[in-house]
Amino acid sequence: MNKSDELLALAESLVEFGRRAGAEEVEVGIRQGVEFTVRVRNGQIEHLVEAGARSLGARVIVDHRVATTSSSDLSRDTLERLLTNAVTRARLVSADPYAGLPEKEELAVDIASLRLYDPAIASLGAEEKIQMALRTEELCLADPRIKSSYGATCATSVGQFYLANSLGFSGCYEGTSISLGVYLQAGQGDELVEDGWYEGTRHFADLPSPEAIAQKALHRVTRMIGPRKIPTQNVPVVLEPDITGELLDLLFTCANGAAIYQRQSFLVDKLGERVASDIVNVVDDGLFPAGPGTRPFDGEGVPTRKTAVIEQGVLRSYLLDTYSGRKLGMRSTGNASGVNNFYLAPGPYAPEEIIASVEKGLLITGTMGWGFNPVTGDLSRGAFGLWIEHGQIVHPVAEVTISGNLASMLRSVEMVGNDFRLRRSIIGPTIKIAEMTVAGS
Amino acid sequence: MRSSDASVSPRSAPTPSQEALSDPAPAPVVAYDFGLSPRAIERVLAAALDKGGEFAELFCEYRISTRIFMEEEIVKKTAENVSLGAGVRVLSGEKTGYAYTNDLSERGLSQAARTAAAIATGGAPGRVLSLREGTPGREVYDLNRTLTLVPLETRLDLVRRAYEAATSYDHRISKLQVSFADGLRHVLIANSEGLLVTDVRPQVRLAVSALAEHNGTSDLGFFTGGGRVGLAYFQNVLPPEQIARTAAEEAIILLEAVAPPAGAQPVVLGGGQSGVMIHEAVGHPLEADGNRRGTSIMAGRMGTMVATPQVTVYDDPTIPHLRGSLNVDDEGTPTQRTMLIERGKLVGYLQDRLSARLLGMPLTGHGRRESYQHYPIPRMTNTILAQGPYAPEEVIASVKKGFYAKSFQGGQVEESGKFVFSVNLGYLIENGRLTRPVKNATLIGTNVQVLKSISMVANDMGYFLGSCGKEGQSAAVTAGTPTLRIDSITVGGRR
Repeated sequence: MNKSDELLALAESLVEFGRRAGAEEVEVGIRQGVEFTVRVRNGQIEHLVEAGARSLGARVIVDHRVATTSSSDLSRDTLERLLTNAVTRARLVSADPYAGLPEKEELAVDIASLRLYDPAIASLGAEEKIQMALRTEELCLADPRIKSSYGATCATSVGQFYLANSLGFSGCYEGTSISLGVYLQAGQGDELVEDGWYEGTRHFADLPSPEAIAQKALHRVTRMIGPRKIPTQNVPVVLEPDITGELLDLLFTCANGAAIYQRQSFLVDKLGERVASDIVNVVDDGLFPAGPGTRPFDGEGVPTRKTAVIEQGVLRSYLLDTYSGRKLGMRSTGNASGVNNFYLAPGPYAPEEIIASVEKGLLITGTMGWGFNPVTGDLSRGAFGLWIEHGQIVHPVAEVTISGNLASMLRSVEMVGNDFRLRRSIIGPTIKIAEMTVAGS
Repeated sequence: MRSSDASVSPRSAPTPSQEALSDPAPAPVVAYDFGLSPRAIERVLAAALDKGGEFAELFCEYRISTRIFMEEEIVKKTAENVSLGAGVRVLSGEKTGYAYTNDLSERGLSQAARTAAAIATGGAPGRVLSLREGTPGREVYDLNRTLTLVPLETRLDLVRRAYEAATSYDHRISKLQVSFADGLRHVLIANSEGLLVTDVRPQVRLAVSALAEHNGTSDLGFFTGGGRVGLAYFQNVLPPEQIARTAAEEAIILLEAVAPPAGAQPVVLGGGQSGVMIHEAVGHPLEADGNRRGTSIMAGRMGTMVATPQVTVYDDPTIPHLRGSLNVDDEGTPTQRTMLIERGKLVGYLQDRLSARLLGMPLTGHGRRESYQHYPIPRMTNTILAQGPYAPEEVIASVKKGFYAKSFQGGQVEESGKFVFSVNLGYLIENGRLTRPVKNATLIGTNVQVLKSISMVANDMGYFLGSCGKEGQSAAVTAGTPTLRIDSITVGGRR
C-alpha cells in the first residue's frame, strides 16, 4: 500500500459530514499499515504473519461536549452511522469548557528531513527477513551454554497516518521500521535464566548485523547463569540504558498533563523547582531524525518539537496535549500521542567507569512487575542484575526487589553514562543512583 | 520481552449466581451476519490449503464496544468503537502461517488465505471437509439485557452513581476516575475439518480509581466489577455504589499505611486477590506451548508432585458469567473444566490445537486470541485454586509474625518460574492478628518453591477480574482463590 490521497480525501470528507451532522468541531485520523513478522525457532519457521489493516478514529465536539468513535470497517455507511451516533452521544455528556481542537499551527518542519521512511524496507523480500532471523538464532544455538531458544524474530512495518480537522488542518506522513532480535534460555534444572536482545530502526542500513545482535543476546543471557541470593541492604545501584528507560517511563506517568491537572503526580506545582540532581537533563524530542518516536505532528495535528522537561535538574515543562494544556493555562507540547522520543541526555562517563566507581552495589539488568504510585513516587519491583564489589562484577543476582522513591532517585543520580543511543522511544544511558533498598533473602 | 505476564486491575468481586441474573425482559441479541455462505468459506479454506498445509481455519470477528469516562465531576467522554476483520491460519507441521484483513469479501479472504498458505512449501493441496454448522452447546454468558443494547443513559447512570458514592464515602476522597466499558464480540470460526460455529460474547467492566488526600499524604484505591454479565448484575449482584465504596475505602486505609517489612517471611494471601499468584505460578507455566517447547519450568514434570497436597488447581471456562468464561474457545473447541494440579500432583496442561496435536494430547478448549489480528495460543480463562478446610481466621491466626496481602496491582512471571506481584494494600500480621496497613510491597519468588510452601488453604473463595498479557496479546481472565498461607516468600520493600 502506498501513501494514498484517497484516504486523506476520505478523512476530509468525513470532517465535512460531521459538520453537517451537527458537530461544531470534527477531527478524523486514519491509519493504514502493512506488517510482516517471522519467528524462527530451532532453525525452523515457527510462525509467519503478514497483513494489511486500516482503522479510523474520529472526535466530534458539540457545544463543548465530546464524543469519540473508531472503526476498522471503513465502509462509508458504517462511518457515517458512527459519526451521526457520536453527535447524538455528545449531547448526552457534560459540557467541558476546556474541550476543543487545537489552534491551527503551521508545520515548521520538512517531513522528508525527519527520515521516517526507507523504501529499502518497503521492498525487502520475505526470504531475506527469514534468513536474517535464521542466522541470528543459529549463531546463538551454536553456544553450548544455551538451553533453549524462544526464537528469533524479524519484523517490518510500513504505515501511513492521515489527519484532517474542521479547522482546516490536513496532513499525512508515512514511516517504516524493521526489527531483529532473539530471546534465549540458559542454565539447568530449577535454575533457568532468560534474556535476549533486539534492535529496531527506521532504515534498513542502520540495523545491526545478525552477528552483532546474536553476540549481545548471548552476552546478556550467559552473564546471568548461576545467580545467587543476597541479603537485604541499602546500596548504590547502576541502571543499564533500558532500565534508565523504565525509570523515564515512570517519570512520564508523572509529567504528563493529565496526571498534573488531576494532581496525581509528585511533580504537581514543581515547575521551575529542582527535582533532580544537576547532571540530569530529560528531553522529549519529536523531531529527532529517524527516531522511533519521531512524528511531524501529533494525533491532534499539533506540530511536535523538542521540549526540555528537566534541565540541569530543574523541572522546566510538563508534556501536554491541547486539553491538559488548557486546563493548566499552558500550550500543548505536541504530546497528544504520548511521548515522542523521551530520553535522558548522555553524560561524560563510560559505563565501565561507572561500574568501577561502585565499592559494593547492584548493576540492574532487568526488572519485573509494576509497583509504582505516581502520587508519592514510591516504587517497588522485582529485579535481576549483577553484583559489584570493589568496582568489579562478581556474580549474577536473582530474586531481589528494589524499592525507592522516584523523586529521591532523580535527586541522587551521581553519574550519567555516555552510552546513549535512541534504540527505543523511551531510553537513557547507564546511570548510577546513590542508594536504593535491595531486598533479598 | 518477558515470555508472559499478567497486568491486571485485580479487584475481587462476588460470583454472580445464575438465579440473581435472570431477568424477565430480555432484549434479543442477533448474531452478526458476516455475509459468507458455507460454500464461500469452503473455497477460502481450500485456497488456504492450496500449498499443502495440513489444517486451515477462518476466524471472523465483529466487535462493538462503548466506553464512558468520568472525572472532575463530569462525564468527559463517551466512545463507540467498531472492529471488523478476519484472520486465516494455516498449520504445516510446527509452522503457523497467518494473514488478516479488514476486507471480508470472498476475494479479500481468499487473498489472505493465499498469503497464509505460503508457510507450507510443496505437497498436494490439503483436503477441506464440508462444513457442519454447530452450536456451542452451552450458554455461559448473560445475554439478557446486554448492556450494549440498553440505552446509553442507563449506562451513564451507573457511572454517575459510582462517582457519587465514592465522593460521599469520606471527605478525604479528593479525586475520582470512573470508567465503564461494555462490548459484544461476535465470532465465526470455520476450519478444514468441517467445523463451523458462531458465538456472541458480552464483556462489561466498571472500574473506580479513588485518590485520598489528608495532611500531605495521598494514596490511590481501585476496584472493578463486571464480567460477561448484563444490567441485572449491577442491580442484583454488585451495585456501582459498592464498587465505588470498596475503592474509596482502600484509598482511605492506605493513608495510614506503613512500609512493608522486607525479607523472607510467612505470608497470607487474601481470598480472591491471591488469584494473581495462582495465575502466574500455576497457570502460565502449565500452558502447553511452553511445555511442548521445553522452556517452561514445569516441562517434564507431568505426574509428579509439584505442590503440597493442599493444592488443587483447575481452569474452568464453563462457570457462568465470569470474565474469562467461554462457550467455545477461539478455535471453536467446546470448553471444559481442565484439572491442572490435583492434590499437589501435576495432571494437565492448557491446550490449543497446535500444542495438543504436537503433544498427542486431547484438546481442552484453551486456544484464545486477542482479536482477528492474532493467531490463537494456549491461554487461561478462569483459573481456580480449590477451597481447603480452614476458616480464613485460622490461617491468619497461624502466623505469629508475617505479612497479609489484601489487594494487588499486578504480577508477572517468566517461563523459568520466577514471578513478582505488586501488593497495593497489605497488613502486618502480629501474633496471629492483622494490625497495621502496609503499602508498596512486592512479593517475589519462583513457582517451584512457592507451590511447595503453601501450607494452609481456607474455605472461602473470591475472584479477581484481570487482563492477562502474553506474547503481546491481551485476554480477559478471572482467577479464583481462597485465603492461603505460604510458609516463606520474599517480601520486598524499604526496611
